[in-house]
Amino acid sequence: MQPEAVELVAFAAVALVLALLVAQPAASRRSLLLRGVVGLAGTAAVVAAPTFDLALLVLLAIAILHSAIDARRTFAARVHLPVLGVGLLTLAALFARVSGAEVLERFAAVGLAAGLAALVGVLPYIHTFDPDEPVSSSPVAWLAYIGPAAAVVVVADAQGLLAADAGAAFGASLVGIGLLNMVWGSVAAWLTETTAAAWRYSFIADWGLALCGFGITLADGKRAALVVLFSIVLGRLPLYFASREAVKQKVVTERPINLLVAAALAGSAPFAGFSARVLLLRGATQLYWPLALVLAAGMLLWLPASLRLGRSLGVPRGRHALGVAAVLALNVAVGLYPLPLLAAARL
Amino acid sequence: MVEGAGAFLAWLGAALVVLSDGRRGLALGTFVAAAGIALVSFSTAGPAASAALGLGGLIAGVRRLTTGRPGWAIMPAGSTPRLVLCVAGGLVALWVGLTVMSGDDAGLRFTVIAVIGLTGARALGSEDTPTVLTAVAVLALAVAAAAGLGADHPGLAPYGLAAAIAAISSWVPIRTPRAA
Repeated sequence: MQPEAVELVAFAAVALVLALLVAQPAASRRSLLLRGVVGLAGTAAVVAAPTFDLALLVLLAIAILHSAIDARRTFAARVHLPVLGVGLLTLAALFARVSGAEVLERFAAVGLAAGLAALVGVLPYIHTFDPDEPVSSSPVAWLAYIGPAAAVVVVADAQGLLAADAGAAFGASLVGIGLLNMVWGSVAAWLTETTAAAWRYSFIADWGLALCGFGITLADGKRAALVVLFSIVLGRLPLYFASREAVKQKVVTERPINLLVAAALAGSAPFAGFSARVLLLRGATQLYWPLALVLAAGMLLWLPASLRLGRSLGVPRGRHALGVAAVLALNVAVGLYPLPLLAAARL
Repeated sequence: MVEGAGAFLAWLGAALVVLSDGRRGLALGTFVAAAGIALVSFSTAGPAASAALGLGGLIAGVRRLTTGRPGWAIMPAGSTPRLVLCVAGGLVALWVGLTVMSGDDAGLRFTVIAVIGLTGARALGSEDTPTVLTAVAVLALAVAAAAGLGADHPGLAPYGLAAAIAAISSWVPIRTPRAA
């Protein structure tokens, strides 16, 4: 088992507790708990699967169950991308395993990167999105709950399957897809019409950073990816839950708490996103310094979108405020001192 | 010989799933594809795993006979692009599996590429829930069959899980989406 993946499953469990704390109607809390526990069990099974093929089959089972949940989009619309992801990953693994022409390894590398993108639901494959759909049946479940641990498993298995040359091609593909998601996600989160869609694009932008981290095949890249995934699961996801009611009522507030949340979402110091960005830039500088320049420029795009999303939170009160405070405290703790998190993942 | 026959049956079954819109056609495709995948997996996975794959496909096919659009509806009007996909997909899988790749288990390689390609395309191209579920059930069997191409012996687990996915997915209650 990958220690990072185990850690991400634990983060998902904490995120579920935080989501239950900030979720608004009591009825939705009960169904959220049930769906969250099933999703968590499935994600844990993916992490515990002893072989890549078994992990893919568990992911397929999760995809069918998730798509069967009562929701506003059709079953077919929800199952398309995970099925595409599993299909691409299976074919890519086949290409990596068999002997034959040299080009097969390259196809395997590109297929693994494309399959990962499809499975999580980031560009160039993104799910259809309905802003009024419950979070548990929306694409956000793949982006922020099941996806992070699954991605760690896929990346680790992919690196085991591929030879050195193809591994470099896999890393380059991930960096390419990551840059695309960074730019597209952050610009779309800033300029898209509805605030719920802006939140969805902000997850995609964060995934861009995580994919770049996975692609930079140095220790700092892996560390950056883990901290970014932490900030998705235990930062952006609970804050998205907390903002749901205010987004529905189109409430926009500009209190200090909104600025704090915006700072956390933008990855500014002292939050977890900041240490992730520093690690990513350090890794990129070691690998190929012009990449660090591109990444630094791309990171500036988070600012306008984060201000928009921070304002959409409203003014949290009661248990809602408690949940938001817990999220911010966790992110400050990891931002100031990420070492225990990285040491637990043996990074 | 057995491997070749199994590979042909698997392609034929996947092609039937692609070409059918009715429950009988989809069920027949599931039966034929599952039988082919089970046959072709026999040498790498052993009798128990092959039987599991066959049983999973059998249950999925029987269930499909009871739900979905009535009748066969094999190659309904306007299905020429799907027919072209089946033939071209089969030829590409044959070329990649036999010429580009080398080594043992050529039939299994062809089966995995052809079945995942065809059923994946069917699942992505259809909005009809029974059709998508049928394609996903057959795809699960092919994903398990691919485990036989790994360096280590995968054991019974992937085959059993794939059979369970194929069998149970056809029973999953799918509700109509709620209106706004």
